[in-house]
Amino acid sequence: MSITRSATIGTEAPVLVSTGWVRDHLKAPGVRLVEVDVDTKAYEAGHLPGAVGFNWETQLQDRVRRDIVSREGFAALVGNAGITRDDTVVLYGDHNNWFAAYAFWLFKLYCHGDVRLMDGGRVKWLNEEGRPLTSETPAPRPARYVASGPDARLRARVGDVLAALETRSHDLVDVRSPDEFSGKVIAPPGMSETAQRGGHIPTAKSVPWSTAVAPDGAFKPVEELRRIYVEQAGLDPARPTIAYCQIGERSSHTWFVLRHLLGFEDVSNYDGSWTEYGSMVGLPIER
Amino acid sequence: MNRERRVYDDVFQTLPSLENPTPLVRLNRMNPSPDFTLYAKLEWMNPFGSIKDRAAWALLRDLERRGELGAGRGMVEPTSGNTGISLAAMAAARGHRLRAVVPDRVPLEKKVLLKLLGAEVEAVRDDLCPSPGAAEGSLNLARTYAKAQSARYVMPNQYENELNVRAHQETTGPELWSQTEGAITHLFVSLGTCGTVTGCGRFLKSRNPAVRVVAVQPSEGHDVPGLRNVRELGISKLYDPTLIDEILEIDFELAYIRARDLARGEGLLAGPSSGLIFEGARRIVERDRRGIGVMIFPDNVFKYVSSILRHLPELAEGVTAQEGVLS
Repeated sequence: MSITRSATIGTEAPVLVSTGWVRDHLKAPGVRLVEVDVDTKAYEAGHLPGAVGFNWETQLQDRVRRDIVSREGFAALVGNAGITRDDTVVLYGDHNNWFAAYAFWLFKLYCHGDVRLMDGGRVKWLNEEGRPLTSETPAPRPARYVASGPDARLRARVGDVLAALETRSHDLVDVRSPDEFSGKVIAPPGMSETAQRGGHIPTAKSVPWSTAVAPDGAFKPVEELRRIYVEQAGLDPARPTIAYCQIGERSSHTWFVLRHLLGFEDVSNYDGSWTEYGSMVGLPIER
Repeated sequence: MNRERRVYDDVFQTLPSLENPTPLVRLNRMNPSPDFTLYAKLEWMNPFGSIKDRAAWALLRDLERRGELGAGRGMVEPTSGNTGISLAAMAAARGHRLRAVVPDRVPLEKKVLLKLLGAEVEAVRDDLCPSPGAAEGSLNLARTYAKAQSARYVMPNQYENELNVRAHQETTGPELWSQTEGAITHLFVSLGTCGTVTGCGRFLKSRNPAVRVVAVQPSEGHDVPGLRNVRELGISKLYDPTLIDEILEIDFELAYIRARDLARGEGLLAGPSSGLIFEGARRIVERDRRGIGVMIFPDNVFKYVSSILRHLPELAEGVTAQEGVLS
């Protein structure tokens, strides 16, 4: 078995598995693969054998409330995919696992026990030898899935951010590109989710999410990640930390790094992120 | 076929070759040195409108010969447009299917042309906060189709297929040599898949190692379709730096400005990549003063009206009738 990194915190199961591990467990009972992409059509073109696809736009959020999917909605989605509470869920996707990390965060938020990310996501799988892909869609038998939570410690709301600014209780990390951080652009080109203003939340440190990624698309080694986030950016593993981006998926990626690869004790993801903060009336920003 | 009377049995007979080269046209008004003869090779005279016809034909013929096409199996290819247009037209004429995976920033004109030709078009947001290792969305998606649906799709893969180079080594290179009667001293090209530079460079340097191969690249953050900056060349397996004598980096805005200048100064309806190549050539001519140079002009401007308007918005002024003039 080749788990790329032990990445284990306390008694938690490993949270990061290699493409090799996934290939060895494609047919393993109790291992369920879920693909979540930025490009919601990518799954149809081809995916790992047996993987189901979740659509982040229509299935992982409540578009009416403008919120994450509800506990009941999450339970229905996961149950319909044939996944039970006892299964090992392995998530992967495009863009270095942006939305796979977001889904990972949701699984943790709703207290699923064993959930993992496939290191390097679909690009790494695609470009390696001996890694099958299929366009056949599995038809899982729906399972009864009872979600619990949400675990409020993992999610920051705008009130939490404002309180943290007031009391300086948290470190803030902005994981967007330097041009978004500086306010030169409000959103990445081509992204429809935008805000009223460009800039960043006061006191936030800029560490673009992609600094955590190696040239092969996988996460960099833990020692290197520690150098980037702790030594260079000055984040403190013992201090509460809030990660944010534009809509919460890139920050899920960094949240995963800080919480699960570097073992920060208290990290939350501000999924409202810049689309919310940058549009609110009267809030302080920096450029 | 009667080449003398220019009567052909099918469109493929009009593809360029040593006997039927694309034209070399001398620049007369915009050449900065009287001792330097500067030609443009008008690759838009290819039957499907760009230099990509050469590689596309080689790739398609190879797939046909190897029996890779037919029985429900078509092609899938990542393309910034021109290769897709060439392949789509050829596929249409020979009864094959093409799925073109294009970066979303590709001009609308090209996407519509692809659809006009019957291709399935899939646009991908390629440049969304790019990261190391993500490669390019269009390439990865095309690869996904070829791997996951191999009974339906085969990928010619212009970025890796050596036939792309060979097409230029066997046609463009010999044409250049013959049309200049072996006197060519400078070749000016852009970089994309690198099929052109590697194929022409290989042929010309085999005839005369002193031929200077000059590549131009747009500055970073550019939106010149089909071109790549050397830092973006990881995608191409056909890039051979040993064949390139120098690389000029040019502000990409000049691609559009020089395309306009070529139209107004020389009557050449060249596209933005040609504009960039012309700017590079102009600088070298000013420096070297003497020689016989050829610029490879990949395509003409017709497919770039929407891009041109973004860069030269003044061209939109006064082109619609004012309301209320006639009552």
